[in-house]
Amino acid sequence: MQISTNQFYMSSNALMQALSSQADKLQTQISTGKRLQAPSDDVVAYQQLQLLSRATANDTAYKANIDMAQSLLDQSDSTLSSIVTQIQRVQELTVEANSDTLSDSGRQAISTELKAIVQTLTQLANSQDQRGNALFGGSQGGTPVTLNPDGSVTINDTGQAAAIPIGEAQTVVPTETAQDVFGGIQTGSGTTDLFSIISGLTQALDAGGSVTAAASAAGDALKTALDHVSDAQASIGARGARLTLLSSAMTDIAATRETQRSSLEDTNVTQAITDLQKTMTILQATQASFTKLTSMSLFDYLR
Amino acid sequence: MSDILNIGASGIRAYQNAIGTVSENIANAGVEGYSKRTTVINEVSASTSTITRREVTAASGVTTSGILRLVDPFKEAAVRAAGADLAASDSAIQWLNQIQAALTGNRLADQLTSFFNAANSVAADPSAAAPRTTMFDAAEGAAGAFRATGNALDQVAANLDASAQDSATTFNGLAAALAKVNDGLSRNVPNTNGSAQLLDQRDQLLEQMSAIANVSVTTDEVGRATVRIGSSSGPVIVQGNSAGALSYDRGNDGAVAYAVHFGGNITTAQISGGALAGIADGALRLAEAQNQLGAVAGAFVDGVNGVQATGIDLDGNPGAAMFAIGGDGAADVEMVLASPRGIAAAAPGGGPLDNGNLANLAALRTSAGYEGEVTQLVTDSAAALAAKQTIADAQATIHDNAIADRDSVSGVSLDSEAVDLLRFQQAYSASSRVIQTARDIFQSILDIR
Repeated sequence: MQISTNQFYMSSNALMQALSSQADKLQTQISTGKRLQAPSDDVVAYQQLQLLSRATANDTAYKANIDMAQSLLDQSDSTLSSIVTQIQRVQELTVEANSDTLSDSGRQAISTELKAIVQTLTQLANSQDQRGNALFGGSQGGTPVTLNPDGSVTINDTGQAAAIPIGEAQTVVPTETAQDVFGGIQTGSGTTDLFSIISGLTQALDAGGSVTAAASAAGDALKTALDHVSDAQASIGARGARLTLLSSAMTDIAATRETQRSSLEDTNVTQAITDLQKTMTILQATQASFTKLTSMSLFDYLR
Repeated sequence: MSDILNIGASGIRAYQNAIGTVSENIANAGVEGYSKRTTVINEVSASTSTITRREVTAASGVTTSGILRLVDPFKEAAVRAAGADLAASDSAIQWLNQIQAALTGNRLADQLTSFFNAANSVAADPSAAAPRTTMFDAAEGAAGAFRATGNALDQVAANLDASAQDSATTFNGLAAALAKVNDGLSRNVPNTNGSAQLLDQRDQLLEQMSAIANVSVTTDEVGRATVRIGSSSGPVIVQGNSAGALSYDRGNDGAVAYAVHFGGNITTAQISGGALAGIADGALRLAEAQNQLGAVAGAFVDGVNGVQATGIDLDGNPGAAMFAIGGDGAADVEMVLASPRGIAAAAPGGGPLDNGNLANLAALRTSAGYEGEVTQLVTDSAAALAAKQTIADAQATIHDNAIADRDSVSGVSLDSEAVDLLRFQQAYSASSRVIQTARDIFQSILDIR
């Protein structure tokens, strides 16, 4: 086949341009570190990368929620521990009060301490969380527990605490409500709350005389109350453990995801550099042979 | 003796012509569309013939019977067809690339993800200002991404229209030029340099026309081309010295229609090759992308507003609409919520710390899958683009081969021209030696005393 002069120049030009653009593509892949520059470079990989990046973004948000829930649970746990300590002190005082040999002034002293404990419990019940809201404030917030001037305590209806999203269709309730912690205590004479149990005892103590009947009733009720709070604490602890598991699973998944992303998207630098070297060598050879071929012409020999 | 002189003189004339043609070839070796020419040289024989016998009585030299253009019409047609196919793919790729850039440039899916994740952060602390502000800004970002993506697609549509009009105008210019060439051919003597020039122009015009729209060509005995758009049964655009005009129109549904105006008639044209076919391809894909994006935008706006309506905001009021969408689809999405306090995080009856309604938003995200739909939109168009690129690579090879095939016949090779030059130069010198010999012989007779 005869190669026309024009055709020779044009095809040499096209070949060298193709090699240059191949080299440029490899150069871009090496310098950006990314194998894919546009979705059309690899449609399937693009779709997977989108899913991976969305999952990563979701997990970032969920991780922040988990961290917040974790610290709310920690705070709930330590507050509940303080409440348990207070209840145990009340139990001790109840045992003390349950003595026939106790003097009226002794009973008075116990009553005074019990009233102080009620104040402490009120403060604990109204403690603020890291978000600036009442820790046991449910969905309403405000003050979940009101200490009335007459010394009685009202537990307000605050609604249920909001569940925090911590994963795809996964939520955790990071606190308890005051109603859950202090109320709902089943005794022989119906449902009551911790403050009523204590105030029943203080009223008996203030009235003077033997309080053995009131004290033994309070002792039974306090045991139930303590179990009630301990249950709540155990539940908080279990939720915390679940979050710890979830959090470490998330870290593992993030590592797997990063490996996947890298294998889909990142340039294999060794291979890219080898390919670039190969392309450059071929380009140089093409340029050299082009120069040689163009310097050859029959006209050079016509003298 | 006078015969020898005449024969020598005819050789001089013929080889002068031949050298002239070779020089012409050499001079035009680099010219686009130039076909190699040869001088056809024939022996002149004075013969007497009867029915049964043809007798050559005397040789009378050589004559130039014409200038031949070395072309193969089938190879020309193959180059045109391959060029039309390649141009269609190249132009489709250009538009699909623009659509892809418009769909991915504003990171719509990422913005939607940010919006839903910001809602998750609000759920963790529903009464705090900071997460609400973040979600408010993310909502503005999502609305902005819809607008920007919609606008980018609208811009592609505008570019596509302008480009199609330009191409049609160029095509009509080429058709008019071809009609002039046809006119020239009907007045030119065949097998001359002049007609060869016109035929070169004709073939070049046809090649340029096929790069815009595939054409079907027939030629008559003097080389005048009759051009039909599309197949051989398509509407005529050039016939003799009259040329028609091609017009472009894009309907509201995004479908492209081409029509030929010729001699007062308007006929619909089916274009399956050339840049205009690629534009039609791109227009279809563009309309699909616009529709799908509009559908996602509408569903997103309705979905989020629906969730807002089922909740109460931080001030205890029923949730107001967060977004609004106008008649222009995605480009018309607006954020209409007045303040971050307006985000309806709580379910009815819930307090300021409730986040029950945001669970509905998370459920909407999962069930509606807006982000997935946006990604699907991108991958649909990217897959079409990738397929076209593969096809275009193959078509480029076919086109290159067709050109190489054609040029092996019609292209000028300087080396073979050098050989011809030497050959004709020697023949010229020899002819002049014949004249000298004739003079010498004649002189020897004159010298007889």
